[in-house]
Amino acid sequence: MIRSKKIMGAFLIVLLALVLTACSTTRSSSDSGGAASSDKKDKDINIAVNQDFTTLDPHNVSDTLSISATHAIYEGLVGFDKDMKIQPVLATDYKISDDGLTYTFHLRKNVKFQDGSSFNAEAVKANFDRIQSSKDALIASHYLQYLKSVKIVDDHTIQLILNQPFSAMLNKLTMVEMISPKALKDQGDKIGMHPVGTGPFEFVKWNQGESLILKKNPNYWDKGYPKVDQITYKSVPENGSRVDMLKTGEADFIYPLPEQSVQALKTQNDITVDQTTSNIVRYVTLNTNKKPFNDKKVRQAMNYALDKNAYIKVVKSGFGSELDSTMAPSTQFYSKQKVYNYDLSKAKELMKEAGYAKGFTAEIWGDTDSATMKGMQFIQQQMARINIKLKIKAMEQGTLSDAINTPKSPDDAKVQMWYVSWSPSSGDADGATRGLFSSAAFPPNGSNTAYYKNGEVDKLIDKANQTTDVEKQKSMYATIQKDIYNDAPWLFLGVDTNLSAHVNKLKGVYVLPDGSIQVKEAELQ
Amino acid sequence: MKKYIVKRILGIIPLLFVVSFLIFLFIHLVPGDPARLIAGKDADLQQINAIKHQLHLDEPLYKQYIDYMNNLFHGNLGESIKSKVPVSELIGERIVPSLELSLLSIAWAMVIGVLIGIISAIFKNRWPDNIGMITAVSGISLPNFWLGLVMIQIFSVKLGLLPTGGIETWKGYLMPSIALGAGIMAMIARFTRSSLVQTLKEDFIRTGRSRGYSGLTIVFGHALRSSLIPVVTVAGLQFGFLLGGSIVVETVFSFPGMGRLLINSIQMRDYPVVQAELMLFSFEFILVNLIVDLLYGFLNPKIRYD
Amino acid sequence: MSETMTVSKQQIASKRGTLSTFWHDFRQRKVAFISFLFFVLLVILAVIGPYIVPFNPQTPDYNHVLQGMSQKHWAGTDEYGRDVLSRLIAGTRISLGIGISSVLIGAMAGTILGLVSGYFGKWVDKTIMRICDVLFAFPDILLAIGIVAILGPGLKNVIFAVAFFSVPSFARMVRGKTLEVKEMLFIEAEKSIGAKTNRIIFRHIFPETIPIIIVYLTMQVGTAILAAASLSFLGLGASPSSPDWGAMLSMSRDYIGTAFNLVFFPGLAIFLTVLSLNNLGDGLRDILDPKIKD
Repeated sequence: MIRSKKIMGAFLIVLLALVLTACSTTRSSSDSGGAASSDKKDKDINIAVNQDFTTLDPHNVSDTLSISATHAIYEGLVGFDKDMKIQPVLATDYKISDDGLTYTFHLRKNVKFQDGSSFNAEAVKANFDRIQSSKDALIASHYLQYLKSVKIVDDHTIQLILNQPFSAMLNKLTMVEMISPKALKDQGDKIGMHPVGTGPFEFVKWNQGESLILKKNPNYWDKGYPKVDQITYKSVPENGSRVDMLKTGEADFIYPLPEQSVQALKTQNDITVDQTTSNIVRYVTLNTNKKPFNDKKVRQAMNYALDKNAYIKVVKSGFGSELDSTMAPSTQFYSKQKVYNYDLSKAKELMKEAGYAKGFTAEIWGDTDSATMKGMQFIQQQMARINIKLKIKAMEQGTLSDAINTPKSPDDAKVQMWYVSWSPSSGDADGATRGLFSSAAFPPNGSNTAYYKNGEVDKLIDKANQTTDVEKQKSMYATIQKDIYNDAPWLFLGVDTNLSAHVNKLKGVYVLPDGSIQVKEAELQ
Repeated sequence: MKKYIVKRILGIIPLLFVVSFLIFLFIHLVPGDPARLIAGKDADLQQINAIKHQLHLDEPLYKQYIDYMNNLFHGNLGESIKSKVPVSELIGERIVPSLELSLLSIAWAMVIGVLIGIISAIFKNRWPDNIGMITAVSGISLPNFWLGLVMIQIFSVKLGLLPTGGIETWKGYLMPSIALGAGIMAMIARFTRSSLVQTLKEDFIRTGRSRGYSGLTIVFGHALRSSLIPVVTVAGLQFGFLLGGSIVVETVFSFPGMGRLLINSIQMRDYPVVQAELMLFSFEFILVNLIVDLLYGFLNPKIRYD
Repeated sequence: MSETMTVSKQQIASKRGTLSTFWHDFRQRKVAFISFLFFVLLVILAVIGPYIVPFNPQTPDYNHVLQGMSQKHWAGTDEYGRDVLSRLIAGTRISLGIGISSVLIGAMAGTILGLVSGYFGKWVDKTIMRICDVLFAFPDILLAIGIVAILGPGLKNVIFAVAFFSVPSFARMVRGKTLEVKEMLFIEAEKSIGAKTNRIIFRHIFPETIPIIIVYLTMQVGTAILAAASLSFLGLGASPSSPDWGAMLSMSRDYIGTAFNLVFFPGLAIFLTVLSLNNLGDGLRDILDPKIKD
């Protein structure tokens, strides 16, 4: 009798657990979404993305996805249009002095932050002060390394004074967005969780790892925008699931759309696939400081041995173009080079000349992303044709970055080949060159993992930066690209095509060449 | 009894100490530099060092450990080094969905598992047993991410019945709970079966039979009761595991639980979050172990505590 | 002298008897027996697989990528135009190899720890069991991720990682059995005639634990194969280009909406293998575990 009571007790516990589940499930469905996503209204849109947002602090953001979100909430003095051309945003116009040292901005009037405080010269200065006083600890301080001081001329005019001319300054300023000084004061470090800007959308709720909800900023200065009431970004890491969400109507826009799913979506009448140019370049660095990659002939042979068409067909499912320079066509000062056309006999010839007719073995490194692993396998198959046996080493990102950056000197470096990509986040030639090819950028100081060193290129990189003459810069960058392409410190693979897809009734959401999603013009029909 | 409980609870404290130390060591042994990962690809060394300094990552390891323990004693789990959100808040947001999913998974796994177990035990070595056991064992033999992917294709894409992921409605819990519970269901079914088979051979059952009680009365009235012990153990231990979340299943279903928080934090080398989450897992697990042990005695008074 | 002779003859006779009863019992259990046959088939495939594949599992054919099932390619071709069936067959060796070798390593370490722990008791036992508790408290897959992250990727490290987390369960189980056996009379007898500890542990206690180890081993191999597949899913598997089933599954999962066969077949291979191992384990346990035996 007593025992059966105890068993009853045990069952009661289980029952209680069940009831708890039931209660908590209903509760969470009714309030965690709140007025937000659970009951989607006519003018609300859902965007499925592949990662979680990391922060909403525009001065401390480094990943493209989070930049997409900060672009919706915040604005800078200048910004990019669809083609990555610089346009005034919170400034109405700007002037650069002849010596390239003083930038004068006239600020847009009658602009208010989402918390009601006004946008003026004072606010701009507060933002620059925040970044500079962080002593390098904020990511944006990297963009302002040549900024000497900020001067308030009047309530709506501000001057930035540099300590040396810097040709990419305007590009970098697109990454410096304006936070409400009042919010900065109230929130301090926590601004990344409670963002307040001037942008078309204001912050509602961020469920870490699940969704980010933004709503229309009713007092937005650009009248007529935004045209939708609410945007919900959902983090969906699994590639196939994002596509499925579009099919089931759970998402109105998805990015990135995996290349291999395009075909499957073409048959759906209510879905449109968008292709936009990208400035993401794909390549494999060859450690030019190490045998046998120190031999230019070997590096060129490897480039000749690579079937770029097959690369685009197999790895990119037909989307993308071959990389015919060190940067993408949409990047500033791009200049097309004569490509290493697929030519197996020439490749073998060069290998023979270099004394590697029998080939060699090497390791290729990359992260654990499925697209990277796919690409590495392709390279492995291609290089086998000129007797180069590659061992694929896929490493988790943190481990990989450690393996690459731990060596203090080029001779300690273990990296031989690294399958990787790059996109200059501010679209400028400097961002696509200095960190990758300057000999000052050897790890751990930068991303020159090819350990490429060319005195002439080094000199030109510095010179181009400090010139204010656009034509001169253009010709300098042309030389830089020609020299590097000829030296072949990389296996030049391809330039991505940004693929996204949306339901037909949604218009105005698009992906910039750097991979960030623009939502200002979003509209439902 | 009371003395035993107190003793067991006190025993947890040194264990937690060891665990905290191991976790700290483990995290710092794994290569990777949070400052570099935060700084992004454009950063130079100077900036990375500045971030390191700001996060106190340039201090000697023992000092970081002392700081960490000191904070822990003051009930402060620190804040995420990436988003600057307090760790307690981050975990708080994730633990609720994880708990709900765990309860749901364990609940259906218990019901179905015990049922299959009973049927299999009654019809031991006959076809209902074979079918029951193959069904159950299938659950433990499926790669759960594969099960998840296939279910999405069927129930979301083809039939349009369930959302592919997320937890906006209760429907979002269904497929993840199936993917997670399948293995546990299998375990419970097997344990129920073997435990029941064993009990049915025991003396008091034979006595019952000789007294003319019907088979079902014996199974439900007597045997099941004592067979429940190992089942409770298994369910309890599995519940402990479940609470930790499942990295794989949560990824497939975009489920905002503890597993994805963990894997994202590991990827970013967000030390405070990883530390706190691992500590929580261990604590949870130790606690569940303790409760299971105590339940043992509760269900079977024959077991004595000394 | 003659007396001891007869005793040992009897022992041999009874042992042979156990074996044939075992075989008899085993064949009675149809599910387990079929599973056993399937497993034997797998082992044969693992040995001869690379020699009987219809196509080279590694040679790409960019002109025939992502083909569906056909007479030529029974299970279709993958994103590089490689024959999926050939890869599945060739992959048997790797997938089974990872499963079996990691569990054997784990079982060996776990058994030694369990024997030592159970036999010596006291602080030795406490220490070992506390360590096991700590290891248990970590989710398996997490331990594996950590180990692969620390040691770097590659087949060997994956095996080691999977082996590592099967240690504590073997240790616990063997310890339990050891405690049981230790109390049995003949061990006491051996002790009283002054037998060495080593001898007692390995000659007398260890054989008693073998049945339970075999049962557990069988089931753990399945778990290990699944764990290795999960590691592949997270990108931490052996090598993306090797045809092991986990790698095939995880590499092809982006194609689930377009080329279902690519995802389906490796998953099926894993499922059937693990299922047969588990059923085999269940059958063996029914026979070998005297508590359940009729």
